[in-house]
Amino acid sequence: MAEDVKNVNENKEEQYSLNDDRRVKVLSPGALVIKRFLRNRLAVLGLIMLITMFIFSFVGGMVVPYGQDEQFYTYTYLDKEYVGVTRNNDLRYAVAEGQQFPTILQAQFLLALGKGNDTFTYKDVDYKTVNEGPDFYSISTADGTMLAIAYKDIVNAADGMAEPSFSVKYEGLKAYVNGASSFVADGKEYQLDEDSNILLDGETIGYISRFVVAARENGVVLTRDFKERLEEALDSGVQEFSYTGEDGVEHTYPISYDASAQVWSVKEETKTYVYSSYEKPSLKHPLGTDNNGMDMLVRLMYGGRVSLIIGFIVVIIETVLGVIMGGISGYFGGWIDNLIMRLVDIFYCIPSMPIIIILGAAMDNMQVDPQIRMLYLMLILGFLGWAGIARMVRGQILSLREQEFMTAAEACGISVSRRIFKHLIPNVIPQLIVSCTMGLGSVILTEATLSFLGLGVKFPFASWGNIISDVNNSFVMTTYWFIWIPAGVCLLITVLGFNFVGDGLRDAFDPKMKR
Amino acid sequence: MAGVKELAEGVGRAHPEPLNKSPEQVDVEMEKRKERIEQEIHTNKKRSGSLEIENNYTPVTYDDQYILMVNALKKYFPIKGGMVTKTIGWVKAVDGVTFNLRRGTTMGLVGESGCGKTTTGRAILRLGGEKSGGQVLFNGQEIYDLSPKEMRALRTKMQIIFQDPFSSLSPRLPVGEIIGEAVREHNLVPKSEFNDYIDKVMDDCGLQPFHKDRYPHEFSGGQRQRICIARALALNPEFVVCDEPVSALDVSIQAQIINLLKELQQKRSLTYLFISHDLSVVEHISDVVGVMYLGNLVEYGSTADIFRNPLHPYTKALFSAIPIPDPKAKMNRIVLEGSIPSPANPPSGCKFHTRCAQCMERCKVEAPKQIEVEKDHYVVCHLYDK
Repeated sequence: MAEDVKNVNENKEEQYSLNDDRRVKVLSPGALVIKRFLRNRLAVLGLIMLITMFIFSFVGGMVVPYGQDEQFYTYTYLDKEYVGVTRNNDLRYAVAEGQQFPTILQAQFLLALGKGNDTFTYKDVDYKTVNEGPDFYSISTADGTMLAIAYKDIVNAADGMAEPSFSVKYEGLKAYVNGASSFVADGKEYQLDEDSNILLDGETIGYISRFVVAARENGVVLTRDFKERLEEALDSGVQEFSYTGEDGVEHTYPISYDASAQVWSVKEETKTYVYSSYEKPSLKHPLGTDNNGMDMLVRLMYGGRVSLIIGFIVVIIETVLGVIMGGISGYFGGWIDNLIMRLVDIFYCIPSMPIIIILGAAMDNMQVDPQIRMLYLMLILGFLGWAGIARMVRGQILSLREQEFMTAAEACGISVSRRIFKHLIPNVIPQLIVSCTMGLGSVILTEATLSFLGLGVKFPFASWGNIISDVNNSFVMTTYWFIWIPAGVCLLITVLGFNFVGDGLRDAFDPKMKR
Repeated sequence: MAGVKELAEGVGRAHPEPLNKSPEQVDVEMEKRKERIEQEIHTNKKRSGSLEIENNYTPVTYDDQYILMVNALKKYFPIKGGMVTKTIGWVKAVDGVTFNLRRGTTMGLVGESGCGKTTTGRAILRLGGEKSGGQVLFNGQEIYDLSPKEMRALRTKMQIIFQDPFSSLSPRLPVGEIIGEAVREHNLVPKSEFNDYIDKVMDDCGLQPFHKDRYPHEFSGGQRQRICIARALALNPEFVVCDEPVSALDVSIQAQIINLLKELQQKRSLTYLFISHDLSVVEHISDVVGVMYLGNLVEYGSTADIFRNPLHPYTKALFSAIPIPDPKAKMNRIVLEGSIPSPANPPSGCKFHTRCAQCMERCKVEAPKQIEVEKDHYVVCHLYDK
């Protein structure tokens, strides 16, 4: 049985193979359009351009190892001010317990000192000063009560020790200037070693030094050992100072002396990271990096993704709205047609750019999330752009409605919905495809313009428009060409590609229309 | 000097002879035409009070030998105008056409361009809106009384073949779909037999089954017309309006299509209303001929009677225009003067009186009635009103 059928088929084949028609390859209108399209070199070029951009944007973004908002930075060593050392040239005062030595008395004392007097009087009270050693004075009242001492060699507390008492300071300094190795204060015996350390029962409680060593940054505690070594280094007048800390690592600190301020500043090399902004193209970053240290190539890919997606979604919104409105208008006609066409006229009159700019500014003000902002942008562009498509669809449907094949369909008793969807819509689709393709290019341009003005896609999302908007002064433009030229070229290629393809499609769909 | 003048005149008239009219004459005619149109608009405005369509006819009773009975059928198209769009007049495309069509016969409908032949054909099929008056009984059923659903069902019984095979096929559907779409829509054949059925219909119409997957643009005019015929016949209709089916085709193809139509008529006992302005084709295919002038059927009778003995002055003029393929034959051509009046403002009385050689005073005021001169040979003319 099956064989019979086969035989019959073969017979048929033979029968038909004699027919010349048989040799002509059957092509549907769609296939014909593709054939004509592929014959158009410019259109194919456009298609290749578009495919390249698509692969670049969508596949490229997946392949590259970096994220679109990944910031690159490098570590550098900076000489940072670490310690400032000054030689104390001011008299300091230590006041005896239970006594007062206010500032006015300090001034009187300095006056007397300047005149070379060893007594001075203030408010009918006489004061007596004793020069106990170089730059070391004691001040007492006429009746011999010790008031205070003035000194330039500073008695510092050792690490973790309490501030030495007045008598310790006084006695210690006396011992220091006299070269004694021990002294008694408050009934205790203190030792003073060669390094001017003050020891109590073998424990260092303080030290005497002319240098003031202070860390430049808060929270940095300098050890006594460090300070001592530093002082030694300063005394010997070296330019560099090495110190092995508790961690056992030897650090080298350069020392510089500022003669005018009489300050030795000790620098420390610190490791800090710096964003590699405006880095020149290299193997790691083929198109360099932008202001924020993000890889330009990656941002270009992600930007393309955003630009293309926005383009497509906006055009889809436009087309759906346009086909529905235009279709209703064209098929039903009458007052509905009139109403919708007046609406279209109104939409044509709306100056879309100012509106979009105002809405963008409004969204800035409301601090809309960048992702939701993109969604709004698509909706706004879509709602402002359907009028042209609606008008085109209406025109097409109006003319198709009067074609005889529609009458024929009516005469055959075919239902209204089938007439619309099987006979009308397929005949509008070619024009729709063309206008959508052309529209894509212009939507992408609009989006780029808005992003350039800072009203479209916002940082951290990339779009070709906001990549170009990084170039906001002529210095960046002339120096960092790799920031804006690639984005511009991508934009150019895409829009040109869409226009070429659109032109090609139009010619392919309508072979009668010759340029 | 004189020679120069002649030359200059010659330049002015680039084609003096072939037009048979000097530019001055054309200008005058254009002027007249403009005046006429203005007048029409004027009268239409004046008449705007009486825009009611007269619709007084005697209803016919159904006679089952006739598949189609058309009685005083009127189809007017509104002329819109004015500040607020409203109807200010009517184009009387079909203005009271009456005829009956026997089963299995072919009626030819002839007349010059714009006389309402096509509109009549479409009005009979209820295509393009409602009628303006009269009756169309198809198998005794007034088709304008049917609900849209009933009408859709009835559409399988009455079909139409269009004049232009290029615009009457949807360019985006394959031929098989064009032919089979309505069959599937009306569930005329079971799904399992669908393909065979379409093959058979296509075969009947001289198409090969492998044509099914092709698209209309791949076919020649004749083949396209075959597709149109196949689409109409796939629904297995009883009655087909052939709206100038061959006028867009060249002569050799015309003969093929005409013969195909005749063959199919015999096979399926179809009834045709064959609209054409080609009298020889009509003579070849028709059993009955109707002659239309300005929305009216002026003469109606069997083909033999009419061609042998045309009665109405318009029919005579029309038939005198049939070319005789003999260069020596002397033609007594009756040339009608002027052009067809506007159907928006037809002449009073007999609509033909403006161009009739035998026009009488009566013709200008009184509209003639249909008179049966011989058996089944009707004419609408005062000349035969004894």
